[in-house]
Amino acid sequence: MSDNAKSELALRKSEVGVGVERPLSYNLPFLLLFPAVMAILSLYLYPFLSSFWKSFISKEGILSLANYEKTLNLYRYDVLFTMGVTLLSTLIATVLSILLAVYLRLSKGWITNIVGILYRLPIFLPFVVIAQMMRSFLAPHGIFNLFLAKLGLINIENPLQFFNWTGLTFGFVWKEAPFMVLIILGGFQMIDDSYIEAARSVGAKLPQIITKVLIPMNKTTILIAVTLVFCSFVGCFSFPYMLIGGKTPVTITVDIAHRVNYFGDYGVANALGVFSYIIVSFLALYYLRSMMRKGLYD
Amino acid sequence: MQKSVFKKTIEIIIFIIFIFFLFAPLLSLGIWSVALRWYWPHTFPQEIGFDYWFQALGITKSLTLGAVNVVPAFWLSLGIAIVVVIITMAIAIPAGYALAKLRIPTFLKGLILILFLMPRAFPQQPVFLNLMLMFNKIGLTGTVLGVIFVHLVVGLVYAVWITASTFRSIPPELEEAARSVGASRLKAFFKVTLPLSAPGLIASAVFVFLTSMDEFTGTFFVGLPFVTTLPMTLYSASGSNIQFASVIAILLLIPSILFMVLIQKFLKAEHIGGMGG
Repeated sequence: MSDNAKSELALRKSEVGVGVERPLSYNLPFLLLFPAVMAILSLYLYPFLSSFWKSFISKEGILSLANYEKTLNLYRYDVLFTMGVTLLSTLIATVLSILLAVYLRLSKGWITNIVGILYRLPIFLPFVVIAQMMRSFLAPHGIFNLFLAKLGLINIENPLQFFNWTGLTFGFVWKEAPFMVLIILGGFQMIDDSYIEAARSVGAKLPQIITKVLIPMNKTTILIAVTLVFCSFVGCFSFPYMLIGGKTPVTITVDIAHRVNYFGDYGVANALGVFSYIIVSFLALYYLRSMMRKGLYD
Repeated sequence: MQKSVFKKTIEIIIFIIFIFFLFAPLLSLGIWSVALRWYWPHTFPQEIGFDYWFQALGITKSLTLGAVNVVPAFWLSLGIAIVVVIITMAIAIPAGYALAKLRIPTFLKGLILILFLMPRAFPQQPVFLNLMLMFNKIGLTGTVLGVIFVHLVVGLVYAVWITASTFRSIPPELEEAARSVGASRLKAFFKVTLPLSAPGLIASAVFVFLTSMDEFTGTFFVGLPFVTTLPMTLYSASGSNIQFASVIAILLLIPSILFMVLIQKFLKAEHIGGMGG
């Protein structure tokens, strides 16, 4: 090959350079995504879908609704209990977190600064640690009852019982309200001071600033926070298992563990799992939709 | 003037209540971990000391009910977490890069995004239960490898999201500039994009590390009774010995707080909440 031909070839190569790369750049995203997608498909989606399938397989191995019948007979009350405690906890956490976020957004001073740093503490603790913490703090002979007795609020011989929905709600709000503050405060801080000043100048008081400015302008952010907290409560296992595991009523997650550990009954356990999917379904679909849009168009 | 004094008083009262409810549960753990004898209704333990700490850390031997030496569990948790971080990041960095920087058909991208959002939206326990049934067939239940797979799927979802949002924050012009002066795509990635996104990627790795260290539900189904990680020892001590349980709980919360304080400014708020289901 002459030098001339060589250089011509090189030139042509550089001209078609884009074209040579096109098959690679077309395939590259799929190559890069392949391991992660395969891992999620096999280790998440397949077992997720098989929980639906297995919930319809009875003990005798035939397709039936027997597991659902049994679930409704045995655990009807626990399903309602889970929904009730979840709703209550989410509601309390939402109200507290909005109030705290409003305080941190609008107040200044050393107390605000300290609160603004300290409130994050519970976010980082795993539920298993929170479970142990609440087991000792809220115990009949724990620090909280001792404190109430010292204040003269309760009789020391007759301490309050917290190993039920109250303790569950307390521990859950303790962990999740700070997380909600973190998200909601982020949204509040995006609102320019001028909006708040404008509302003040036309005579808006604090409640109006909250309900007419701060909350409406952060509706999506707040809803996402509510969704994440609601769904994480329904799916939370370690905390209710360690706090009220041996009692009744318990949450669905505890029932699932009992069904598996004591009876090896995967049909009913999966039917319970499907119930927990149904409880979160509306909020979960909202979350998927809004986060997918954000991921696609941002 | 009167009004502002009133306001300040209210603020201080609420502040004290806030501090009490924030720290009293933590204090309860701390006191119990050093309480040798504490009879109700005494305000403070009659006898305090670090005996349970020494026993839990394997420095002194103990025959107490529920006593466990947590050192092997700690090394096991640490080993699993390190392996999980390496595998997860090796899978998540390419995937996050592709989602952030490369052109993917909208429909497909939507499906992939949903796939990576689902574990956050739906309860995971039924998934772990069926993963256990799956692993039963191939002999992975009760093995360290099985537990690594479980932690992998828990951490991967966050890792992909965090790496994707990190890569998205790097202006594409920088990589384009490198390529216009002759760098290959691979070279541009390693010389430009990777160094710039290092803080976000490290934050993501630390996050995966902590989710593995703290993981409970998946290990409960797939690992027990043969693979006892640190959270599993806490679970088994919790029912029988409050002092040991308190010591382990403190051992677990120290790294969580330490690391998260270091990396939280690199993380988006919505990711931080995913700790230790």
